[in-house]
Amino acid sequence: MQNELRSKAKELLQNGEVKAVIGYESGSVPFKSTPLFAETPEEADKLIWNPTCVNNLALYLPQIKSMGKVAVVVKPCEARNVVELIKEHQIDRENIVVLAVSCAGIMKFDALKEIGLKEIKSIDWKGSDIAVETSGGQVVIEREKALLDKCLSCDIVEPVLFDAMIGKAVQRQSAKVSTIAEEYEKLSPSERRAFWAKQFERCIRCYACRQACSGCYCKECFVDKPSQTWVSKRTDAEANWFFHVGRMMHTAGRCTGCGECERACPMNIPLSLMTKQICRDVKEMFGNEAGMDAESSPILGSFNAQDPDPCPE
Amino acid sequence: MESKTILKQDIAPWLESLADKFEVFAPVTEEGVTRFKPVSDISSADFASQSKALRELFTPETETLFEYRVDGTKAEIKEADVPAKERLVLGARACDAAALKYVDAVYSMVKPIDTPYFDRRARTTIIGMFCSNPWWSCFCTEVNDCLVNPIEMDANFVDIGDKYFVEVFTPKGEELFSAPQFNLASDADKQAVEDVKKAALSKLPAKKAHDTACLSYDWDHAIWQKLAQKCMGCGICAFSCPTCHCFDIMECSKGKSGNRFRCWDTCQFEKFTTMGHGHNPRPSKTERTRQRVFHKFKYSVERYGMLGCVGCGRCIALCPVGIDIAQVVNELEKV
Repeated sequence: MQNELRSKAKELLQNGEVKAVIGYESGSVPFKSTPLFAETPEEADKLIWNPTCVNNLALYLPQIKSMGKVAVVVKPCEARNVVELIKEHQIDRENIVVLAVSCAGIMKFDALKEIGLKEIKSIDWKGSDIAVETSGGQVVIEREKALLDKCLSCDIVEPVLFDAMIGKAVQRQSAKVSTIAEEYEKLSPSERRAFWAKQFERCIRCYACRQACSGCYCKECFVDKPSQTWVSKRTDAEANWFFHVGRMMHTAGRCTGCGECERACPMNIPLSLMTKQICRDVKEMFGNEAGMDAESSPILGSFNAQDPDPCPE
Repeated sequence: MESKTILKQDIAPWLESLADKFEVFAPVTEEGVTRFKPVSDISSADFASQSKALRELFTPETETLFEYRVDGTKAEIKEADVPAKERLVLGARACDAAALKYVDAVYSMVKPIDTPYFDRRARTTIIGMFCSNPWWSCFCTEVNDCLVNPIEMDANFVDIGDKYFVEVFTPKGEELFSAPQFNLASDADKQAVEDVKKAALSKLPAKKAHDTACLSYDWDHAIWQKLAQKCMGCGICAFSCPTCHCFDIMECSKGKSGNRFRCWDTCQFEKFTTMGHGHNPRPSKTERTRQRVFHKFKYSVERYGMLGCVGCGRCIALCPVGIDIAQVVNELEKV
């Protein structure tokens, strides 16, 4: 599949159809990948596709708009982020070539903790499990232990939007909810408040969650306005709370639950618990799932006269 | 100064005997994050995981500098409280301690020196913990020799099985180890330490001459644009770095009272260099990623005579897009 991806990318670059192909290349170590902006057919030879390809590359599309037409490698779930960016007029459909890769699930970094990292040579899928080649032989990690939570519960087979599909669509197994989510669901509203106060207290405001979010494309974030201090730069629970909840509310309707905010967080704050809840609320209240429908209007950018809630006087 | 040993089981009673004088800090893992925190029970310490940088104890994320109250023409100023107890850190990594030499140089370069920072430095005794098992992203041996010749520590513990070998560097350290739990190290202990050190060093890269190579780094290298393309522009690298030290000063007032505080800031944020009138000399990630590498590897050598990177590898381990600063400088040094 990697070869198929490379030849497709080369073809697009050789024809001059796109200025760049955004994909993944091997990182500085075999167990990490890093985003690649291939601008020549030679660079396209560096493209890889394996379970370490964790980043959601839709993030980069609004940022490199000035380049012109580009191709982007997306997992079927991430095509939703591209759809949202098009719907919200952050990128032009005709300037994006969506290369959807078939995906058996992405590995969580923690899955490797029992393997000597320096011994790792390569990582790939083996059926629905993950095979790690080490200097001492192959280690197979079972799907349930190896994959990101979002991948275990993913049921997307066909991407919503794509121009080329690389590899055959992968059939999915049944959903699984992580234990922390189950525990969280049992909490009362006041207990949830206490839970989040404790979580947000350790936030260091590095803004990795915001920077990793393809929905956070504002030119100037509300926390960065120099002339209006909406939120203090103090890293106390109250200000951190205001930042996180403010940011999350702003992404309601465009958040697809891709989990990049949580993965990027250096302080291990379980932000996905909140994004999942927002996604569920948006679905229940507005019947909308972000990025699942290329035709509908964005919920924060549309008005419905039949809205059951009364209009404030 | 003579080396000592202490049985692991004797650490707790020894620390208890110091409790009146010191607040003891050690790396503790809570909610999946390891940080230096006050510990009452040393068995809760986690010396194996990669912790957040030790410098958090010296340059807190948010620090109130003073509080004030205005009443008519009178103003009352209350300086920040200084805790009564001295602090004892157990488990500092060699890179983290070495980083303090750099931060010291920065905060004392301009007079008056940074008093709150140096107060904390003076009130803190640092005991290191030798890295028997370096983390995957560690490269301290490539940029300095702090692992074999620790600096800015009062003593250093080396795990040699059922006991710790104690290397004593300062009189402050020596005084601590006159307690009955400590014995003089035997020749066998000394041999064990050599073996542990040799094993650790074999897992780390060889020394490179970054401190001279840096002088010819290319300002217009193609790598800056490549880095800028994938850098997300968050502050993880800076906020996890043991030598990063930049801060912003803000004021928070309500009615007639308020406070002035400082908090972490970083050159990786767009607003860091945005001027009052709107101009930004580092307008894109191209300039900002270059600034990070140049500051660590070039400006620091020119200004303070030492590298601004101690090779702790935290930014490499935590970068969400897999940027590896060691790889970047090695790329810059390719001829």
